[in-house]
Amino acid sequence: MTLQDLILKLSAYWASHGCLLQQPLDLEVGAGTSHPETLFRVLGPRPWSVAYVQPSRRPDDGRFGQNPNRVFKHHQFQVILKPSPDEVQQLYLDSLEACGINPRQHDIRFEEDNWESPTLGAWGIGWQVLLDGLEITQFTYFQQVGGLDLAPISCEITYGLERIAMFLQRVDNMFDLEWGGGVKYGEVRLQEEIEQSKYAFGQVDMPPAEFAALHRDLFDKYFGLSEKLLASGLVWPALEHCLKCSHLFNILDSSGSIGVTERTAYILRVRQLAVRIAKAYVGDDGSRAAD
Amino acid sequence: MDRELLIEIGCEEIPASWLPGLTSQVARHLEARLKEYRLAPGAPIESFSTPRRLTARVARLSERQTDLEEVLTGPPISAAFTPGGEPTPAAAGFAKKYNVDVTALERHETPRGTYLAYRLRQRGKAAVDVLADVMAALLRDLTFPKQMRWDAYLEDGKGDLVFARPIRWIVLLYGGRVVPFVIRRTESSQGPLVQDIRSGANTYGHRFLTTSGRAGRAIKVKTFEDYQARLLENFVILDRGERENRIRRELETHARRLSARVSPQVTMQSALLQEVPDLVEYPSVVAGHFSVEFLDLPEEVLTTTMIHHQHYFPVVDEDGRLKPAFLAVINMQPEKPELIARNSERVLTARLRDARFFWDADRKVPLESRIERLSTILFHKKLGSYREKAERVASLSAWIAAEAFKRPELAIHAERAGRLSKADLATEMVRELTELQGTMGGIYAREENLPEEVWKAIYYHYLPIGVEADAPPTRQQLGAAAVPWAAVSLADKLDSVVGMLSAGERPTGSRDPLGLRRQAQGVVKVLADLPELTGVDERLTLGPLLARAAEPFGGYKDSAPQLFSFMADRLTYLLEQRGFDVRNVRAVMSGSIENVSPLEARRKLEALVQMSGSAALLEVAGLLKRVKNITKGVTGPTLDRHAVRLTEPAEAALLAEIERRAPAIRDAAARGEYRDAFAEVASFQPSVAKFFDDVLVMAEDETLRTARLALVATLRDIIVNLADISEIAETQQPQHVEK
Repeated sequence: MTLQDLILKLSAYWASHGCLLQQPLDLEVGAGTSHPETLFRVLGPRPWSVAYVQPSRRPDDGRFGQNPNRVFKHHQFQVILKPSPDEVQQLYLDSLEACGINPRQHDIRFEEDNWESPTLGAWGIGWQVLLDGLEITQFTYFQQVGGLDLAPISCEITYGLERIAMFLQRVDNMFDLEWGGGVKYGEVRLQEEIEQSKYAFGQVDMPPAEFAALHRDLFDKYFGLSEKLLASGLVWPALEHCLKCSHLFNILDSSGSIGVTERTAYILRVRQLAVRIAKAYVGDDGSRAAD
Repeated sequence: MDRELLIEIGCEEIPASWLPGLTSQVARHLEARLKEYRLAPGAPIESFSTPRRLTARVARLSERQTDLEEVLTGPPISAAFTPGGEPTPAAAGFAKKYNVDVTALERHETPRGTYLAYRLRQRGKAAVDVLADVMAALLRDLTFPKQMRWDAYLEDGKGDLVFARPIRWIVLLYGGRVVPFVIRRTESSQGPLVQDIRSGANTYGHRFLTTSGRAGRAIKVKTFEDYQARLLENFVILDRGERENRIRRELETHARRLSARVSPQVTMQSALLQEVPDLVEYPSVVAGHFSVEFLDLPEEVLTTTMIHHQHYFPVVDEDGRLKPAFLAVINMQPEKPELIARNSERVLTARLRDARFFWDADRKVPLESRIERLSTILFHKKLGSYREKAERVASLSAWIAAEAFKRPELAIHAERAGRLSKADLATEMVRELTELQGTMGGIYAREENLPEEVWKAIYYHYLPIGVEADAPPTRQQLGAAAVPWAAVSLADKLDSVVGMLSAGERPTGSRDPLGLRRQAQGVVKVLADLPELTGVDERLTLGPLLARAAEPFGGYKDSAPQLFSFMADRLTYLLEQRGFDVRNVRAVMSGSIENVSPLEARRKLEALVQMSGSAALLEVAGLLKRVKNITKGVTGPTLDRHAVRLTEPAEAALLAEIERRAPAIRDAAARGEYRDAFAEVASFQPSVAKFFDDVLVMAEDETLRTARLALVATLRDIIVNLADISEIAETQQPQHVEK
C-alpha cells in the first residue's frame, strides 16, 4: 500500500465514522495537535469529530536525509473524537484492519504513554500503540488544553504515516517508501530534508549571531502581533501567530542559539500566550465554544 | 447463608507498573469496606488483575449485614427524673428524639455514673441491597500514580469518578446474580456512542484470540470458577503467577533452542521480568535475530536498546557474551510466529542502526568539547545548567579526593572525571538512550584513551543505586578508579541533594521525582562502605561534606533542618536495610547528624551485634537510662572541682573506674575498635550498680548533690559519646524513685 493509499484508506474509514475531513494547517507546526481543528475544537462542550493529515516539523529531528527513520518533517494522520466514544479502541483497531493490518496475525499492544505539551499548556493520558514492537500511533485522552480542564473529554488518535507505510511496504528506509504511482518518498522529499536540516542547524550563509538575532526579532514581532490580534478578539489569527512563535523557538533551539535560562523563558512566554488565546476562544462564560 | 461475591472492573489497558499495587489495593479496600458495611467474609478476599481487568472474589460472604445494636446515652439519671420519679423535660426530649416513650428507655451504667439510654437495634439489610454502595466506595478508594477524567460520575453525590483508564464494563455478582450498579456518564458526553456502564454478568476475553465465535465478544459467567475457566478458554490467564511462570518457561525453552540463556543484565539493570506479566493476558515468546555487525557496538548500548526500548530479552552464550539474538514476550498465540519475529527484528534493527549512527557521530567530537553545550541543558531552574553543575561537581570531587580522602595525588583525576561527568548529556546517544547517562560518558572517555582513573569514575558515577553492602560497583570493577570514582559519585549526589533542598525541592510521600532519596542513600552508602570500595579508611562525618557541597549555593539558607533530618532518615534506612536492630540504630545515630559518620555508625553496629549476648552491657544500658533521667539539664560537668566531695566508698570507686576507663574507651573508639570500647563500657556494670545501690544521688546537701550529679553526668557523656545505649535498655526495669 502506497503512502497516499494509506491516507485515502484512513480518510475514508474515519469519514464513514462521522469525522469531517479537514485539511492540514497551512503553517509550520510540530504536530497535528497545534491545528485549531484540535486545539480549539476540543475546548468547550460542542461535539466535534474531525480527521486530517498534518505535515509536522521537528527541527531537532532533522538528519540531512541521512537517517532512514528520522526526518525534519514527517506526516501525521490526526483524528479527534469529541466526546470519546466508548468503543474508541475497537474503532481504532478496525481502522488498522481497513489498512490491511490483520490484528490476529500481529502483536498489537496499548502501552502507557502520556502526552504533554508545555508550550500549549496541554496534557493527556493514554498509550503508544505498538505493532509487533513498532510504535505506530499515539492515543491520548486529552485532560487539559490551554490550561483549561476539558469536558467532555476528547480522544486524539495520531497515526505516524511514514512508520505505518514502512511497515506495510516492508522497507527499512523511509526514503525508499513508495509515495504513489511508483514515485519514491526520497524523490519527493530528500532535497527538502537536506535543505531544511541545514536551516534548522543554522548552516546558513550568515554569522550565527546574526542568525540568532534575526530569529529572535521575528519571534518578538509575531509575538507582538499575536497579542494585538488577541486584544482585538481575533483568536484564530492570534493562534496562528502564536504557532509561528512556537516554530521560531524550535529553530532557535535546534540551531543552538539560546541558553538554558532563556529557553525556559521562551517556553513560558509561548505557553502563557497559548493559554490566553484558549481562554479567549472559550469566552469567559464558555459561550463562544458552545456556539 | 454465605454466597460468593465476584467483582470485575473491566478497563482499557492499565499501565503495567501500576497493576501489582492496584491488585493489593483492591483486596485491602474491599476488606475494609465490607467491614464498614457489616458484611462478614467467610473466606479470605482474593484479588487478581490483567492489563484489562481488576478482579476480586470473596468465596463466602454473609447474605445479610450483622444487626446493629448501639447504646445511645442521654441525660444522667439524676437530671432525668424529678424527685417524685416523673421524667424531666430533658428525658422527654431525649425519648422524642428517637420517637419512643420514656418507659422504653433504659438505665446505662458508665464509669462516670448512670445515664438514661436508648438501645438502638437495626436489623441488617440484605447483602444485595448494600453491595452497590460497597462497589461505589471501592471505586472511590482506589488511587493511581496519575488519574484521568473520562466523563463519568457515581450517584453517591461525590461527583466525577476519576480512574486509571476508562472503565468499560463491571461484573458484580452475588450468589451468581447481578447486583445492580451503575456508573453514569456526564450530560455533555452522553449520546448514542457514550453510555452509562451498568453492572452485569458479562466479561470479555482476549481482544484478538478466540477458539470460537468473534474475538472480544461478551462471555456470560456465574461463579468465579466459571469466570476463570471461561477467561482461560478465551485466552486470558487471570493469575499473574501463572502468566509469569509461562513466560519464564517459554523464555528458557527459546533460549535453549538458541544455545543461549537470558542475559543476566535483564535482572541486574531492569525490572523487565516483573513488568512483562502485567503487559499481557496470554503470553508467548518469539525469538528474533539481528545482524552480527551490531555486536561492534558497546554491549551496554545493545542491552539498553533491547531491554528498555523494546522490552526484549537479550541472550548470552555460555561465556556470557551477547549473542545477535533476542526474545520477545508477546500477547498472542500467533498462527505465524515468524511473521511477528521478522517485524520485531526490523524494529530492533532500525533502532540499532540509529545507535550506530550516534556511536559514529558522537566519537567524532571529544567529550571535553561537549561541556560548552551543557549550558543549554537545564539542571534546575534555581540551580542553573548542567555546565554549572559539572563545574561544581569537579571542584567538590577534587576537594573530597584531596581533603576528605587525603589522597591529593588522585585529586586531578577526580577533578577531570567530575568535569566530564555530565558531558554525555550532550551526546546523541544519551539524548536517545537516557538510561545510559554516565555509562556512555565513561565509554566515550575510554574510546579517547583517557586513563582508567578517569573513564571508570565517569562510567560508574551514577552508582550506587542500592544500599546493600554488595550493591554495584565492586572494588574489582572500579580498579584504579576506586578513589576518584568515590569522590565523583559523592560530589554529584551531594551537589544534587544539598542544591535541590536549598532550592525548596522536597520529596513527599511516594513522590520523589528528582530521586533525591536514592541519591542521599548513595552518599551514605559510599561513606559507610568506603574502605571496602576504595581502600580509604576514613570515618568521614556528614557535616563537613554537606557544608562544602553547600558553599556554591551560599550555604544551606533555611534548608538546614530539612537537610539534616533528610540525611538522618536515609542513613537510618540504610542501616535498617542492613538488618541492624532499630534500637541499636537509634543508639548510634544519637546527637546531631552532622557529627555522624556512616562508616563509624556501621562499625559500632557490627560491634553491638558481637556484644549482643552481654548482660553487663544491657544492665549498663538500663542504668544509663536512669542516669539520663536524673541528669537532664546537667551539661559539661566539671568533675575535678567536685572530686574531693566524693568520699563514700562506692562513689570513690566509680570515680576511679571512670578515670581508668574513660581514656581506654576514647582510645579504642579512636582506633575504630568499637568492640573493645563497648566491652569497656560493659565493665562499668559492677561499679555503677554498686553506686546506685549504696549512694543517694539526690542528697539533701546541695554541694554533695551537685558533685554526685557531675559524677554520673560524666559517666553519661563518656558512654553517649560512643553510643546512646539507653536506647537498647530492656523494657522498663522497676524504677526506683529518687527522693
